Amino acid sequence: MMSTTPRSIARVLGTITGLLIGLAPPAHAIDLGFRDFQMHGFASQGYTYTSANDFFGNSQGAGSLEFTELGLNVLGHPLPNLLFAVQGLYRDTGGSDEGDFRLDYANLDLSLPVSDDLTFGVRGGRVKNPFGFYNEARDAIWTRPGVLLPQSIYFDSLGLRASELASDGGLLYGRYRFGDHAFTTELTISELITDPTTVDFITGFVAGPGTLSGRPLLVGRAGYEWQEGRFRLLFTVVDVDQDFEPSSPKGSPGNAKIFAPLVSAQVNLEDWSFTGEYLRISSDRSGFTPGGVLLEQTSESYYLQAQYRFAPRWSALARYDALFANSDDHDGSATARATGLPRHRFYAKDLTVGLRWEFLDDWLVAAEYHNVDGTAWLSPVDNPGINNPALVREVSDGHWDLFALMFSYRF
Amino acid sequence: MCLRSTAGDRLGAVNRGRLLGSLPLRVCCAVLGLWCLGASAADSRVVPYAGSRGSVTFLTRTELRDIFFARQTKWPNGDPIRVFVLPDRHPLHIRFSKELLGVYPYQLRSTWDRILYSGTGVPPTVVNTPQEVHERVDETPGGIGYAEE
Repeated sequence: MMSTTPRSIARVLGTITGLLIGLAPPAHAIDLGFRDFQMHGFASQGYTYTSANDFFGNSQGAGSLEFTELGLNVLGHPLPNLLFAVQGLYRDTGGSDEGDFRLDYANLDLSLPVSDDLTFGVRGGRVKNPFGFYNEARDAIWTRPGVLLPQSIYFDSLGLRASELASDGGLLYGRYRFGDHAFTTELTISELITDPTTVDFITGFVAGPGTLSGRPLLVGRAGYEWQEGRFRLLFTVVDVDQDFEPSSPKGSPGNAKIFAPLVSAQVNLEDWSFTGEYLRISSDRSGFTPGGVLLEQTSESYYLQAQYRFAPRWSALARYDALFANSDDHDGSATARATGLPRHRFYAKDLTVGLRWEFLDDWLVAAEYHNVDGTAWLSPVDNPGINNPALVREVSDGHWDLFALMFSYRF
Repeated sequence: MCLRSTAGDRLGAVNRGRLLGSLPLRVCCAVLGLWCLGASAADSRVVPYAGSRGSVTFLTRTELRDIFFARQTKWPNGDPIRVFVLPDRHPLHIRFSKELLGVYPYQLRSTWDRILYSGTGVPPTVVNTPQEVHERVDETPGGIGYAEE
């Protein structure tokens, strides 16, 4: 529709060549020359170092470079009200994400303005789940306040991650504004995306290999914002109901119901942002074990976070983040007695300070230090033996430090 | 609501009504009092620019927000909207964000990044100079940006 196609093609070819030979990366998005179609990409490389336990690969000793996030997307409007968007992602974070290419999102979005103040829309395909403040775009560090999101809510090393992130289905949304006030709502009805670690997580690690099936995943989110987000309030609910069919005849079928409400609030001032989120995950598991008793568990997570933009390209981060596997057993003692695992497996309290510097346009480096008490969100893949009462005391330590660093470039 | 603005003005201060008491010496009312710019430090004002579409000064702040936050993608006549902006730290971008949209530039950036990496919208095209905004808007049907006059 606009701009000369040869110029666009030359720019695309120039960019790809530049990327391949590592020279002259593009400064901004690549204009694809058809309507508003653009291509964007990002490349992030991280480093983790831990004083004990492993986080994103073998992070003790010399640290781990198994922390890579690469994305490439194409977005545009084939019709003024119809959005097409697709993103491919490569991600490697040690044992918790084994490094492969995946379709991150691929959706069509039709928005239907009813009046100047009221819009409805429908989005279908592989959609990012509307969960809290950070979930939908979380694999690009550009949307994160630091290197890592609060692990108590945005699980990166537990099996729930794949299901938390995106799903295949549809989403209805609405937005109503009244002066400086806006009310938003989203409802996702979709198929859960699972992998073997998700199955372990949802069944509670007791069922062995198998498959999940059941009614669609429901994710609802309602929000209020004032002045384009100077104050934001969100309420999210996730509802899962899945039947488990074991793949071995020795296994026992079961059912898992998960209900998770999340409350999110944020204040954005000129130099400061303050954010807090609070999540409870209630799960009811029946079957899975001979006799099939109903296992009920409710976890509790929250964080409080301050960001300070103290210079034009700099921001500082301070956060306290806590996860309790059982909301009525914060110190883990009762669960420890029942399982034979140490108490620190059932909570994680993480105090984080960090810095983020956009040293050039579209380049950033972020570094942060975590002082962690507890191991509840550590990956059992990166930390073999951590769920084994006979080994766990040898292979893990309840008090540990994590240092994380990440560079990123985007166009 | 009337904002007297300089490049260095902080929205917070403006919104606290500091200026209700201090009379801007020269006030240029853009349109029907939707926003007013006093030229104190910088003897200029920032205006939305839509090239050959003609004047878009009749856009309200709410409409400008819908366009620049990438929610509105269609002009009333059905043409697609194409938005061109300067880099986040360009003084004119900062003035446009604060004076016309009434937001901090990082609010725009965080929305644009969220829609980009979640596949829920198309962020504006970033160009390097005010001249380039002018040119791209002129050559693009449905284009809109901003300019200093």
